[in-house]
Amino acid sequence: MRLRSGIFATLASGAIILLGWQVGDGSAQMSAPTPAKAASSATIQPPVSQASTGTDAGGSPTTAPAAPAGVADGTYKGSAINTPYGTVQVEAKIVGGSISNVVPLQLTDVGSLSIEIDRQAVPMLKSEVLSSQSANVNSISGATYTSEGYVTSLQAALDSAHFSS
Amino acid sequence: MMTKVASRRGDGLRRAEQRDRYLSRVVYPRRMRLADSLEAIVWLTIALVLALFLADSGLADFATPAGTFTGIGIVCGLVGTNLLLIQLVLASRLPAIDRAFGHDHALLTHEHMSKPVFYLIFGHVLFLWVGYALTTHVNVVAEIGVMFSTLPDMKIAYLGFGLLAAVVVTSVVIVRRKLAYEFWHAVHFLAYAAVLAALPHQFSTGQLFADGTWARYYWLLLYAVVAGALLVYRFGIPVIRTLRHDVRVSGVRAVAPGVYSIQMTGRGLEVLGARGGQFFIWRFWAPGQWWHAHPFSLSAAPESTRLQVTIRELGSGTRKLSSLPIGTRVSIEGPYGLFTERARTTRRAVAIAAGIGITPIISLLEHGDFAPGEMTVIVRATDEEGLYLYPELYELCARKSAGLYVFTGNRSQSGRESWLPATEMRRNVTLSTIVPEIAHADVFICGPRHWTDLVVEDARRARVPKFRIHYERFSW
Repeated sequence: MRLRSGIFATLASGAIILLGWQVGDGSAQMSAPTPAKAASSATIQPPVSQASTGTDAGGSPTTAPAAPAGVADGTYKGSAINTPYGTVQVEAKIVGGSISNVVPLQLTDVGSLSIEIDRQAVPMLKSEVLSSQSANVNSISGATYTSEGYVTSLQAALDSAHFSS
Repeated sequence: MMTKVASRRGDGLRRAEQRDRYLSRVVYPRRMRLADSLEAIVWLTIALVLALFLADSGLADFATPAGTFTGIGIVCGLVGTNLLLIQLVLASRLPAIDRAFGHDHALLTHEHMSKPVFYLIFGHVLFLWVGYALTTHVNVVAEIGVMFSTLPDMKIAYLGFGLLAAVVVTSVVIVRRKLAYEFWHAVHFLAYAAVLAALPHQFSTGQLFADGTWARYYWLLLYAVVAGALLVYRFGIPVIRTLRHDVRVSGVRAVAPGVYSIQMTGRGLEVLGARGGQFFIWRFWAPGQWWHAHPFSLSAAPESTRLQVTIRELGSGTRKLSSLPIGTRVSIEGPYGLFTERARTTRRAVAIAAGIGITPIISLLEHGDFAPGEMTVIVRATDEEGLYLYPELYELCARKSAGLYVFTGNRSQSGRESWLPATEMRRNVTLSTIVPEIAHADVFICGPRHWTDLVVEDARRARVPKFRIHYERFSW
């Protein structure tokens, strides 16, 4: 390879790697969510209500008609979401118009590593949900499928409760 | 009178300088730009796959010992698979690769990549065993079983790894000449199965290429491009060319004991763009022959209806070629090779051949645009009987005003090795004593593997830069 081409290839490769690092590092500081999910934002937009409320529940969670004050206390079961590593389903507990707890009913169970991954990822997801009071949270790096299933199931539960943050 | 002669000489010199400038400043840089672009693409794909790993917060894995093992395993798998795909492209007969590097050189690079690629894939397996075992607090051996039985698509991935190991092992054994070429070749095709078998687990178990990520689309695109190159250039085009040109054996002529010229006719062969010095991979559809594919160089300039190869009975496959019936159908793959004018970087050229290696040099000289005095041919054989096609060569050199040197005699059996006969070696004959200006010439070498290496060494000692040394080595 000639010198000029060599320098070009090295610089270009270096730039690509640095860019990748920057993207990865930037998101790693926010409790390691994966940016590979979407180019512009690392946040998962949960699909609206696949479960009990049906698609007519209306738009994104932020435009849902129900006000937080009108949400009845209780536990709401989310839909069961299939992932390549098993089915994920969660239950949301709402007290005084806010999410007080999220209980996993089913988690990924294909392979021992899945269980290990969930053991780390699920508490992180829960604490993010409780602090943001929504299913609009960052996906956990290394637990993409769990995060997706968790968030989608939770959104379904919140929709069935007519909960909106 | 004097002035006329002087001006004619001046014209000649100017023309020579122009040709030199054209070859060194247009032809050669054009080829190098192509070669550099292809090489840059390889480095960029590796950088890209590392960037994808980093962008997926891959570095976060390295926080714990278990994660470190897993992270290294993932990187090994990514880079190893990327290089494996490059290897497939190198063997795909992509025209740009042949034009830039030549088929021989591309396959040599393919061969050199085998071991590193295998180590990377093996590393991928080993590091992930350990990494997963540490994460789940299971011992490594138990983890192998757990992985095998619980993770998605791992069974078929293990199968792929086994196939890859088989390909590597047979390649190592064939280099030691203990296996039939055809057997090795058949096993080599398992590499395609290995690559495909490894694909599902990358998309299911591998989190980096999870559903919906753009890393997944890039990876799929990479696989699609490689598969496309193989389907089109390795399989599609050869089949189409074979059907379209209807090449058949038209005559077999004995040249020397055990050496035969096979003449073939076909339709519209000029569209193939074959050049003197190139080779085809031929398959003769005769009983007991059709399962051998032979890489033979053209031994005469290709014409629009005629092709000729000259072969020496070397292996079991070539032994029966002398009795090929006239009219036998011939499948062709090619033309391939950079042993042509396209490789030239300067006006002067030296071609060196041993034995049957003279064939591409004859077609190169016959077909190429060599002005009088530009080419020097050096031939070596054990005895005069081994100077195959010598009458043709002599007549051609006279017609093209090319220099011709012939060396016959046994090579030295002991002491320092040389590509020349022992008598010449004792007289301290070397390339630079035969052709003193060789450092400013392109050197074309064709002969058996080891002999070729010795000539290349001598050329390097004569200060011929690497980019001016072009060689084709017989293998099998």
